[in-house]
Amino acid sequence: MRADLEEEKDERLAALAAGGDRDAFDALVTRHRQAVYRLCWSAAGNAADADDAAQETFVRVYRSLPSYDPTRPFGPWLRKIAWNCGLTARRDGNAGVPRVAGGDAPEAVDPAPGPEEEAAGNEERRRVADAMAGLPAELRMVMVLRAVEGLSYAEIALAAGIPAGTVMSRLSRARTRLLAALYARSGGGS
Amino acid sequence: MECRETQTLLTAFHDGELPAADRARVEEHLRGCPECAALLADLARVDRAAGVPDPGPAYWNRFNARVMDRVARDADGPGVRVLRPKGGWMREQLRYLVPAAAAAALVVVIVHYAGMRPGAPIPTPAAPPAASKPAAADSSGERMAKAEPESRATKKAGSAAAARPVPPPAPAKDRVATVTREERDRLAARSLPPGNEDASGGRAAAPTPGSPPVTAASGMTQESPAERKKMERVAAPMTEPQGAGKAASAPGMGIAQEPSPGSPCERAHALAERDRMRDAEAAQRACLAGDLDAPSREKGLVFLAELLDRQARFSEADAVIAEVDRRFPQSRPLDHYRQQRPMVQKQPEAVPVTR
Repeated sequence: MRADLEEEKDERLAALAAGGDRDAFDALVTRHRQAVYRLCWSAAGNAADADDAAQETFVRVYRSLPSYDPTRPFGPWLRKIAWNCGLTARRDGNAGVPRVAGGDAPEAVDPAPGPEEEAAGNEERRRVADAMAGLPAELRMVMVLRAVEGLSYAEIALAAGIPAGTVMSRLSRARTRLLAALYARSGGGS
Repeated sequence: MECRETQTLLTAFHDGELPAADRARVEEHLRGCPECAALLADLARVDRAAGVPDPGPAYWNRFNARVMDRVARDADGPGVRVLRPKGGWMREQLRYLVPAAAAAALVVVIVHYAGMRPGAPIPTPAAPPAASKPAAADSSGERMAKAEPESRATKKAGSAAAARPVPPPAPAKDRVATVTREERDRLAARSLPPGNEDASGGRAAAPTPGSPPVTAASGMTQESPAERKKMERVAAPMTEPQGAGKAASAPGMGIAQEPSPGSPCERAHALAERDRMRDAEAAQRACLAGDLDAPSREKGLVFLAELLDRQARFSEADAVIAEVDRRFPQSRPLDHYRQQRPMVQKQPEAVPVTR
């Protein structure tokens, strides 16, 4: 990535990319690829479809840059495309049924043998990740946008096209289910 | 505050989204209730654990290159340059239609002159050559070089026209340049359903006397915005009876079967393209009241939703979208429209793209 692009705002990069600046587009991809992948994963529910959807997202972004209005925030626009690509990939890939595979478990934070507490933390992550993969996509989406991306309710509402009150209720339902998964192997409560 | 009420507010409290007054009440309760405090701690625990599996550094190292490969494949080759039309995304969509319309116009002109006036030469442009813009209406020309991302759709449009029984007297570029204002008007009049005087008049009035021939995509970059708009208004509807519009493959462009000329369905599109959304809505409703096959109905309903959005009748559009969802689960036209919808709602005055 060109150093002069690193500090540029998304909207400026998008305008440059729309004018044919490949480096600006590359900078946008680098900046957002992980968030896009996570969102696609939350829509698709598995790594293979998330990969395809994340790639497709940026292809669509590239194609749509001429229509992007740089006075509007780039993030919500991008997230909307990513979410739709994720849903489409899921439909194409497995007819709407999230796949939960061992290969989809999160990478261990510390693969080396560590203290018992850390091992328990990894086990907890694995359980929650399994429960996440089993959530309905709309619950998984709000959970990823909030807990992983740190978006506000208003931003999530914009990305998901739902009222902020619905964001809260979906988050509450998602966390209830994840907590149940957490408690299930923790002896029924903690 | 009791535990039950606290717990209903705990998610918003945890996310920092609670109004200050409620926040203070929850804090006060938490100080005296270990059970609710433990629940709050568990919410944080779940959030920390709720990551998404990371594919790892090797994946990310290849990610950008894979995107660019796909973009290049999508654009039929590397070195693409995205043009930025001044008119925004609607104009971008129309760029697919303009070359197709020009090619379609050519077919009609040639058929007209070959059939009605045997032996008559193909007319030359009414405007002096100096006023003519270079044509780039099909897969060749300046536009291709500048905007390869659109080349695939453009080629399809070109090939759709080429598949028709057109005598090959001149290169496409030259042939398109012979589409004059008169021919354009005549074509516009033909493409309209009988009795639609208003639409016909509006379309015929769009080109100004002495205006240069339709030059399709060259107009996008070289002519004034007003002139471009006129041309697009004239050109876009022409694609429908010719079927060339099907070649468009951009996101947001539907692939609906074009209704038969003169049908309410076609009238709806023609009216919408003239910004007469209310009339277009009425025509579209009449269209939907007819006997349509399932794909046409699905796309027709999506178009109706777009027409409602363009009139800022969002809740009615929501209802139509809900109907599409119910009747056509996982509808791709709807999926496409959902992507475009925020922009449609933002630009209600723009020409619709759902087809």
